[in-house]
Amino acid sequence: MVKDMKTPLLLGALALVASPVLAQQKPIPADSVRTIVLQEVAVVTKRQDHQQHLQNFYNANQAATTEELMSRMPELSFIRRGSYGMEPTIRAYSGGQVSVTLDGMRIQGACTDKMDPATIYIEPLSLQRIEVQTAGASSMQGAAIGGSLDMKLAEADFADERKLSGSVTSGYQSAANAMMGGLRLSYAAPTWGLRASGTYRKSQNYRNGRGEKVLYSQYEKANYALSGKFLLQDDLVLKADFIADDGWNIGYPALPMDVGQANARIGSVSLVRENSDRRWSRVEARLYANRIAHYMDDSARPDLPIRMDMPGLSRTSGMYVEGTTSPGHHQQLTVRADASASYLTASMTMYQEGQTPMYMLTWPDNRQLQSGIAAQYSFQVGDKTQLQLNSRLNMSDFAVTTGEGRNQLSVFGYESTARQFLIPSLSLQASRMVYKKLKATLSGGFNGRTPTASELYGFYLFSQFDGFDYVGNPNLKPEKSVQSEFTLSWQEPRLRLQATAYASRVQDYMVGAYNPDLSAMTIGARGVKIYYNTPYALLAGAEASAVYNITGYTQLVSTLRYSFGSNTDGDPLPMMPPLRNITSLRKYFGDYLWVQGETELAAAQNRNSESFLEQPTEAFMLWHLRAGYQKETEKKVWQLNAGIENIFDVHYREHLDWGRIARPGRNVFVQLSVGF
Amino acid sequence: MKKYTWLTLWALSLITVFTTGCDKDDDTPTPTFAYQKIAEGKAAGTDFKIEVYSNEELTTGYNPIYIALFDASGKRIEQADVSFQPMMDMGMKKHASPIENPSSGQAVDGYFPGAVVFTMPSGEMGSWTLGVQVQANGQTGTFTTPVTIKEPTTSRLKSFVSKTDGAKYFVAYLQPKQPKVGVNDLEVAVYKASGMMDFPAVTNLTLALEPEMPTMDHGSPNNVNPTHTSGGHYKGKVNFTMTGLWHLHLTLSDASGEAGKLYFEVNF
Ligand SMILES: [Cu+2]
Repeated sequence: MVKDMKTPLLLGALALVASPVLAQQKPIPADSVRTIVLQEVAVVTKRQDHQQHLQNFYNANQAATTEELMSRMPELSFIRRGSYGMEPTIRAYSGGQVSVTLDGMRIQGACTDKMDPATIYIEPLSLQRIEVQTAGASSMQGAAIGGSLDMKLAEADFADERKLSGSVTSGYQSAANAMMGGLRLSYAAPTWGLRASGTYRKSQNYRNGRGEKVLYSQYEKANYALSGKFLLQDDLVLKADFIADDGWNIGYPALPMDVGQANARIGSVSLVRENSDRRWSRVEARLYANRIAHYMDDSARPDLPIRMDMPGLSRTSGMYVEGTTSPGHHQQLTVRADASASYLTASMTMYQEGQTPMYMLTWPDNRQLQSGIAAQYSFQVGDKTQLQLNSRLNMSDFAVTTGEGRNQLSVFGYESTARQFLIPSLSLQASRMVYKKLKATLSGGFNGRTPTASELYGFYLFSQFDGFDYVGNPNLKPEKSVQSEFTLSWQEPRLRLQATAYASRVQDYMVGAYNPDLSAMTIGARGVKIYYNTPYALLAGAEASAVYNITGYTQLVSTLRYSFGSNTDGDPLPMMPPLRNITSLRKYFGDYLWVQGETELAAAQNRNSESFLEQPTEAFMLWHLRAGYQKETEKKVWQLNAGIENIFDVHYREHLDWGRIARPGRNVFVQLSVGF
Repeated sequence: MKKYTWLTLWALSLITVFTTGCDKDDDTPTPTFAYQKIAEGKAAGTDFKIEVYSNEELTTGYNPIYIALFDASGKRIEQADVSFQPMMDMGMKKHASPIENPSSGQAVDGYFPGAVVFTMPSGEMGSWTLGVQVQANGQTGTFTTPVTIKEPTTSRLKSFVSKTDGAKYFVAYLQPKQPKVGVNDLEVAVYKASGMMDFPAVTNLTLALEPEMPTMDHGSPNNVNPTHTSGGHYKGKVNFTMTGLWHLHLTLSDASGEAGKLYFEVNF
């Protein structure tokens, strides 16, 4: 068994854990903790499922970005516009349909082209774990129909004896001639602790499977995370976190523009009281604020008739209070109240020699106030059955805040731009041991989501995906979804199997509709689309995973997923990830060396959206080889990770990659780290 | 202690959310124009003093003109009939230009407002004079002053020869004076040359408007074609989706079909 492994030292691996909600209170059985590694990083898929299902998923390439780690999870896919800033989608839900938060904090991207999802602001070095919740269980995080993705920040520690620890990491990847360096320092004292980490990455244009350089795929960034923890009383902790993330010279090969500079400042203070003797065993209150500045331009692109600058700014401040209590035997109740205010503005200035600059607001200055109350109630009925109820009531208020912005939108006859939305959501889930180690979980519920600022107020936002300029519509109705999910899982010490099927019907599904009367603003655009509500769309799919400890030193992990979507007319929805399988076989040679072979398989996607002029994507199969070696000296732990990704230099692209840009070809990576 | 901690936190939270939450309202008020004196003098045959005002320098195109009248004692005259007689002397020939005489005999805020549409700039081709004829307190007289008409940086007067009746038409641009991104009031005035001295307002045309951004080759949505209001003035709406150079294309038609096409530049 893997029991022999020194768990915290398996730094090269990434674990993917599906922990049941109730498990937060009771310790997870030892055999399942074994593989929660990659320092503190674990990727958690929180199932509504109450049975524990633990998967370890290896990613020896520790120089990977957070996005690369997450893309291994069956529920997640990424819309890729460049090597950096990939947009996470959960089961083919994207954009405003999913809630992406950083440790419970809302962050609004400042880019009208979605170049800056919140996932870029956290580096694996400061990431504790990732929680993905699907369907109804996401209502604690926000009003979303497609689930939630929350990235937990690593925390400072307390220690009875004062202690300084840290690590230095450096890595290289050949496909993009990329290097990264990371540094972490932690100081732990009995009543306080500090943790500081910094990561620097520089990546050149990568080479695809044909050996061609993919222009404008470079990027460079630095990320700093600082967190402090202070023990105020026996059970009361004050925490302060700050993240600064600066990216520059970031290329987006699938888009007509790149990013000159992107800056994020994210800060929060929180109070946490944890005491199982109190009525509320855990209470957390947090205040946070963040500011994202994004400078997009096309100065790197050759021969353009017109030059463009498109800066954007987003500011959010908010708070939440969350408490957990046990109202009765075998019951757990978590309630949460949250509120936030976000301000967005983005503009575009176009320059042509000898002409007056052309200026417009692409996001007329607007703000979104949102507040919500949510509750999650779990009840263990007897030995075999568990029930869980998730609910949320979300209020939001959108408005364009300047006369200039309102004037601009009046061009489309939009007289009133202020909108209020009240979005309720409720889901119920029941799970039961049906046969021996087979557990069945059924859940159903409804939820909704508000339109985004782009969908309400966007002003000629060009989308390279279908080549249209998009105009917002302040009269949009919220999307409402009815969904259901069914999971079967089999769990025994050596083998865990899980299969999930889900389906949802999204009413008032928002989509851009071509308006032939409008002339496109962007040169070369096909026309103008205005967002409107279609009667409904259907989304369905399935995921399966297997973790098999063949012997104590050999493990097999395999995941499979498939998504299906169709609109009111029965036509395919765009950006549907095709059938995909990732299978890894890892073998340990003693306690210090492991080798892992991996295949990544994706079927062709020939169900394409006609209205988005979507193109089919071919099937592909990739082979990866990874290995890790570790050496301990008295005070240090040395680690070497290396491997080859896409060994056969396959020329391929994933279906969610924009612009038919091929992914990297063969990539050799090496990474060395020293911990003390 | 514990209670206060939470209370403080909530209070702080509320402050954060609501102090950052003030909406800005920056609708600029409509600017008011100053009166600029162009000339003053005695109207021949009367004891009146006439003062001629405009808002800006006189240029080719539509120029609002304001007349202030004072009697011998220097008292402002509030009741008078005022008419304009612009004249271009080109040596070989002379011609007038379209005018809009003050519509009422009653002064507005002490001024008699009207307009003159100068059809060309002063220069080597010839020079302009502006005659102002007044009739008040039983006296009638004319004050004539030379005026200098400049060509504006962007043309505010266009002309065409009608395909339907062969006459020359002048189209003057009045609005938007201060264009903004958004919906703008559009106003033009149309006159027909009936000989060299008579330029009546044209009231029976149909105008079709199409704004275009020539550098980017796109238009704008939801414009409203100008329709006739009074005195040859046509009002509609023009929408700008961004700042920069725009061409406002106008197609003018009468009962027998398309008479002509032209465009005005708007650059802001
Ligand atoms: Cu951008």
